[in-house]
Amino acid sequence: MNDPGKEISRLAFDERGADYLLAVREEYGNAGPAFVAKGEDVGDIRTDIPYQLVTILRKIYPYMEDGKIAVVIRRCEEKALNELIKRGIIDGDRIIRIGLACSEGQIEACRCTDPVPSCVDIGSPGKGWNEDQLSKELSAMSSEERLDFWVAQFRKCNKCYACSTNCPVCVCDHCVLEECTFVAEKGIPPGMAFHLIRAYHLSDKCTECGECERSCPAHIPLLTFRKMTNRDMKDLYGYESGDTETVSPLLTTLEGDLLEEEED
Amino acid sequence: MKIDHVLTTCPYCGTGCNFYLQVVNERLIGVIPCKTDEISQGRLCIKGYNAHTFVQHPDRLKHPMIKEKGKMRKASWDEALDKIVSEIKRITSEHGNDSVAVFASAKCTTEENYLFQKLARSAIGTNNVDHCARLCHASTVAGLVYSFGSGAMTNSIPEFEDANCILVTGSNTLEAHPLIGSRILKAMENGAQVIVIDPRDTPLSRLAQFTLHQKPGSDIAWINGMIRVIIEEGLFDKEFVDGRTELFEELKQVVQQYTPEEVEKITGIEPKMLVDAARTYAKADRSMIAYAMGITQHSNGTDLVKSLANLAMVTGNVGKESTGVNPLRGQCNVQGACDAGCLPDFYPGYQKVNDTGANKKFRGAWKSNLSTKVGSTITSTMEKMESGEIKGLIIFGENVMVSDPDIAHIEKALNSLDFFALVEIFPSETSKFADVILPAACYAEKDGTFTNTDRKIRMLRKAVGPPGEAMPDWKIACELGKKFGAEGFDFSSPAEIMDEMASLAPIYGGVSHGRADTEVISWPCPTKDHPGTKVLHVDGFKMGRGKFAPVHHSPPNEEPSEEFPMVLSTGRNLFQFHTGTMTRKSPKLEQEAPEPYVEINSGDAKMLGIEDGSRVRVTSRRGSIALVAKVTERIIPGTIFIPFHYAEAAANRLTNPAYDPIAQIPELKVCAARIERS
Repeated sequence: MNDPGKEISRLAFDERGADYLLAVREEYGNAGPAFVAKGEDVGDIRTDIPYQLVTILRKIYPYMEDGKIAVVIRRCEEKALNELIKRGIIDGDRIIRIGLACSEGQIEACRCTDPVPSCVDIGSPGKGWNEDQLSKELSAMSSEERLDFWVAQFRKCNKCYACSTNCPVCVCDHCVLEECTFVAEKGIPPGMAFHLIRAYHLSDKCTECGECERSCPAHIPLLTFRKMTNRDMKDLYGYESGDTETVSPLLTTLEGDLLEEEED
Repeated sequence: MKIDHVLTTCPYCGTGCNFYLQVVNERLIGVIPCKTDEISQGRLCIKGYNAHTFVQHPDRLKHPMIKEKGKMRKASWDEALDKIVSEIKRITSEHGNDSVAVFASAKCTTEENYLFQKLARSAIGTNNVDHCARLCHASTVAGLVYSFGSGAMTNSIPEFEDANCILVTGSNTLEAHPLIGSRILKAMENGAQVIVIDPRDTPLSRLAQFTLHQKPGSDIAWINGMIRVIIEEGLFDKEFVDGRTELFEELKQVVQQYTPEEVEKITGIEPKMLVDAARTYAKADRSMIAYAMGITQHSNGTDLVKSLANLAMVTGNVGKESTGVNPLRGQCNVQGACDAGCLPDFYPGYQKVNDTGANKKFRGAWKSNLSTKVGSTITSTMEKMESGEIKGLIIFGENVMVSDPDIAHIEKALNSLDFFALVEIFPSETSKFADVILPAACYAEKDGTFTNTDRKIRMLRKAVGPPGEAMPDWKIACELGKKFGAEGFDFSSPAEIMDEMASLAPIYGGVSHGRADTEVISWPCPTKDHPGTKVLHVDGFKMGRGKFAPVHHSPPNEEPSEEFPMVLSTGRNLFQFHTGTMTRKSPKLEQEAPEPYVEINSGDAKMLGIEDGSRVRVTSRRGSIALVAKVTERIIPGTIFIPFHYAEAAANRLTNPAYDPIAQIPELKVCAARIERS
């Protein structure tokens, strides 16, 4: 890849008025997150290593009293950012987006159906993936077989919390997974409740970035799990996460008629 | 606004995962795994994700302190260092240089450990320098040096993924080395057969195709039994045995009596299970052995390690990718501390102190008179402290009052000292005994290197400054060295220290910070243009042929009796680390495993009227502790297990200090105990 750093730096600081840039940079023979202030050398920017920059942004944001922050952002991260803006966690006016179109390889790794950011600044738009093969195979199974599959997968869980720690939209102040209310068993594996609670907690936020799956030391196909949950949300409520306006059905149904009818 | 992401190495187990510390205006706020790191591959365990939380804890030691009339008071660095030097000098002038000992630290960098042993040898004049490797893999070093000529992990962590069979014994890999466990899970996905042999069910054994439960302390019997099956059924690698090993006939003789039925009598393992496991291990194209404390912490630990080497050699599983004998080392830098010579019998790079050539070489380099007398190990130092033979002690970052066997004995030993100086990051159970305490910088506050379990040199980069007046250990060692009047303690950076070590230890000959900064190097790396060595013993063993060890099973030092009918074993859990100095100050880790417990088999519990959650008392010949019972199917009847992390019910009040005669590693894995409702 020819040096995208110069272009990203120009867009962030010269064209769009950022005070800071959050991107991925090569240093010490490794690629990692870099936070650069205007005027500093941006260094050797990389766009091929999928760090979840919105998670990283969310962690440093509470410490940032002022200034505009440019973020190199993929489509899934852009959608995650929208979810955070919608919930008042991040002020959208302070974030400058530098859209990164994912490579074919990255699209394939994520079985991504929606890979092109709303504004493509870096890279060329690739074609979305039609279907996740594993989702298809699991959908064809009986519900017992499907449950067996996930039970076997979740037995490998070593409770590192990577799936929630690295998730851009895991935003509760106090994580219910760390309480004993539903996740009763201390120790490992933490049991199905751990994963199901997480699934429900994210059902109106997940943007299928795949960071949970990439960072899972047990190699659990968590992205497929997410895709299947999200498909249910779409089929049942017509809801898709990722924009700044659509209100979550988990909030709207509380005010609708359906709930009252059920009470009768 | 200053926000940095600093790439450094995890301070917990020996896997050596790299991660980024997130720093906002000198405050650590998080950990981000490094996606391009070839060890961690963008993944971490729960300890790694929480490795920033203890660093800026308010309890950190911030000032040097001196004990006066039984109370600690703040002191200046000069005053505290002068006190240490004058006290140690007084003791050595009255009682000789060997009346002082230094304990180095597997939590400090290789550069710092190099200075610790140089301080002991060159500035104080004794080879009495040792560290906690004595308690974990001393028997590995001795055993594998005998069998292969080198005491380190033969292969590398990424190779686990490509093995066809992995035999894991005495290692709770998913809890104690989670990211190595992750590779084993990957191997299983790729079709590998995994055999776990352990007295307890572990998270890995629950997923493995083969789970064998042996009685604690019976391992040589099942290993010999497997070798017998392999030889009988012609599954051994004749070409390898003939071409690259010696003493095969002797081994064949010894294993003859270990028929599957005989093995069952000793170990409790069903004959069919043993035979199946032996065949699976022997028939696979590439078989790896991984082991840890369950093998090493026995009074015949060295023989046990040699038997695993026998098993690997008999099947030709040495010197190739995805094979070998792989000790999983428990501390971030226990490998580096050994490499740097913090062992009483070795200079840096495993050069013997009683070898005249090596002695001459180091005398010349350090411009000092060096003793050729092999020094005292931690275990024998504790005995000598109690008997009065050793009167002065300097400890760099070890919490012996929780980590060492038979704490009542350790307490007596510390109380017998004339003078004890401790360098630490937190007040600890051990610091109460110190006459001088020096505050040290922790891993996030300094530069340097760790050498992980597969011999890779991993960089530490300073992310934040140390609290108060705390200093990195390498600076403390330099100041002490200079005040002792020794030459060669004028270093301005860890990089310079590594240069000196590289010039003297051939296995590190080509290692420098310049290279390790951007390259992943595994030792042996003899020259600047050498790429490092991923797999050991590929073209041959150091001493020519690999040596079989014809060894017999022998019972543990202490066996169950009427008064103490249970076998007590100790170990770790996933969430805490060792004596808890760091993890117990990390809120999320402490929340997951906040209190001491003893695991007991449900059948045993029922007989004793113990329920899950009952308060119980566990007693051995050496002490007694009160804690909570965890009733489980996951431990074999007759055996109980206590994690050793908890000072308030320290498992090591009970453990047996009986040790292996060669490696002097204590038998932490087996002692006789009694459990009752309290």
